[in-house]
Amino acid sequence: MAKQYGMVIQVAKCIGCQACTVACKFQNEVPEGQYRTKSPVFGPIGTYPNVAMYFEKEACQMCQKAPCVNVCPTKASHYDENGLVMIDPDKCVGCKYCLTACPYDARFINAKTGAADKCTFCFEERVSKGLKPACVSTCVGGSLSFGDVNDPNSDVAKILTKSKSEFRKAEFGTHPSIYYIFDGVVR
Amino acid sequence: MDIFWGIPSEEHIAWGGMIALYLFLAGIAGGGFLTASLTDLFSKERPTKLIKTGAYIAPVAIIFGLGLLVLDLSKPFFFWKLLININTNSVMSIGTYIISVFVSLAFVYAYLVWAESATTLTGIWAKLVQFSSRFFVLRKPVALLGAIFAICTTTYTGFLLSAITTNTLWSVPFLGLVGVPFLAVLFLVSGVSTGLAATLLGAAKSDGLKIYKKLDIAFIVMEMILLALLYLTVNPIYFNGSMATLFWIGVVGIGLVLPLVLSVYGLYKHSKWVAPVYGMVIVGGLCLRYFIVYSGQLF
Repeated sequence: MAKQYGMVIQVAKCIGCQACTVACKFQNEVPEGQYRTKSPVFGPIGTYPNVAMYFEKEACQMCQKAPCVNVCPTKASHYDENGLVMIDPDKCVGCKYCLTACPYDARFINAKTGAADKCTFCFEERVSKGLKPACVSTCVGGSLSFGDVNDPNSDVAKILTKSKSEFRKAEFGTHPSIYYIFDGVVR
Repeated sequence: MDIFWGIPSEEHIAWGGMIALYLFLAGIAGGGFLTASLTDLFSKERPTKLIKTGAYIAPVAIIFGLGLLVLDLSKPFFFWKLLININTNSVMSIGTYIISVFVSLAFVYAYLVWAESATTLTGIWAKLVQFSSRFFVLRKPVALLGAIFAICTTTYTGFLLSAITTNTLWSVPFLGLVGVPFLAVLFLVSGVSTGLAATLLGAAKSDGLKIYKKLDIAFIVMEMILLALLYLTVNPIYFNGSMATLFWIGVVGIGLVLPLVLSVYGLYKHSKWVAPVYGMVIVGGLCLRYFIVYSGQLF
C-alpha cells in the first residue's frame, strides 16, 4: 500500500508550551510575526472549580482533496509524489486565491519570499531523511505523532486503531491528514 | 501579539479593496462594452455618442482593473507566470485567458469605432485611419465576439469568488441549481447595470436614451430581487455583521432604492437627473463588490 503520511494530535496531552511553534520557526526560518503552526487555547470553559481548557495545534491539514491546489492558477500549489500538498515558490505569483480557499487559515504570504507559505511536514529537511517533523520531535507532552497511517506498525496507525479521531471542518470534504483525538478533553 | 495563548495578531483578509475595485471595474467594462456593441448591432438609429462612450469605457476600465489586480499580487513583476503556467481546474487560470481575449477585442473595437468616425484628421493619424479602413468591415463581427467575451468576463468575476467552495457566502448556488453560482448571476446583472449607467453618464446629453433608462430601471429591480433572494438564502451574519451599514446604506439605499425612485421620477419629467441617478448606480455597484468581498472573508 502506498505511503500516506499523517499526523495524530492527542489534544489531552498538549500542555500549551508552544515548543512546536518555536521549533517550526527555527527549522523553517519563518519570518517574524508569521507562523506555519501555532497552538491557540480554547477556553477556559465552565465555572470554578469545574473549569477546563485545551490547546488545538493548527497548521496545514495536508488535505487529500485540497481546495488550495484546485484554485491555484499556476499549479504552484500541488501534490507531491506522496500526495502531500506543497508549494513551488518559483511558480507562485502571490494572487492569494489559496489563502481565501483554505478553510483552516493555514496559509500566509511569506514576507521574505513573497510566495504563499505553509507547513510542509518538514518533508525536505527532515522527513525525507528519516526524521520526524520539527514540531513532533520537540513535543514535550507526547501529544504529536507522525508517520505512515497505512503502515500498521507505525505509531500513528497504532494510536488511530485505539482511539476515535476527528478531522477539522470535515463538512468541507477536504479529507485532511491531521487526526485530532479529543479523548479526555472537556469541550 | 500574544502567541503563547495563540491569539492571532490581527484578523487578516487575503483579498481587500483592490480586488473589490477590480471586480467592479471588470463589471463596468463588460457592461459598457455590451451597451455599445448590442446597440451597434441591433439599433436602427445607431446613437453614435452612446456607442462611442461604451466602446471607450470598456478598455479603460478593464486595463485599470487589471493594473490593480497585478499590483495586488505579492509578486507583481511575475504576473506573466499566470500566462505560462495553466491549471485548467482553476477558475482564475481560465479567467486570465478570457480577460486577455476581452481586453484585445475591447481595444480593437474601440479603435474601429473611433477610426470610422474620425474624419477631420491630418498627418500620420489620417494615414493610419486610411490604412486601417480595410478592416472597418470587421466592426460588427468584433462587436458580436466582444459581446460574448464581455458576458464571460462579467460572469467570471462571480465565478472567481464562487469557486471557493469552502466559503458559504461566495459559493451559494443560484436557486439551488448546481453549477450556477449566485454571484455569477448577481455580478452579471450588477455589471451590466453599472456599465450601462457609466455609458449613460458619458452620453447624458444625447437624445433617444429613454429605452436605455427604462432598461436600467429593469436591471435595478432585478438586482433588488436577487439581493432579496441572497438575503433569504445565506446565514444572516453576512448581512447583519460589521458590514451591515455598507450593505443597507451603500448597496441598497444609494445603489438601488434612491436611483429607482429618482429615475422613475426623472425619466418622465427631468432629464437633468441623469448624472446623480447613474452616479448612484455606479457607487452602489462598487459598494456591492466591497460588501461581498469583505463579508465573505470576515464571517
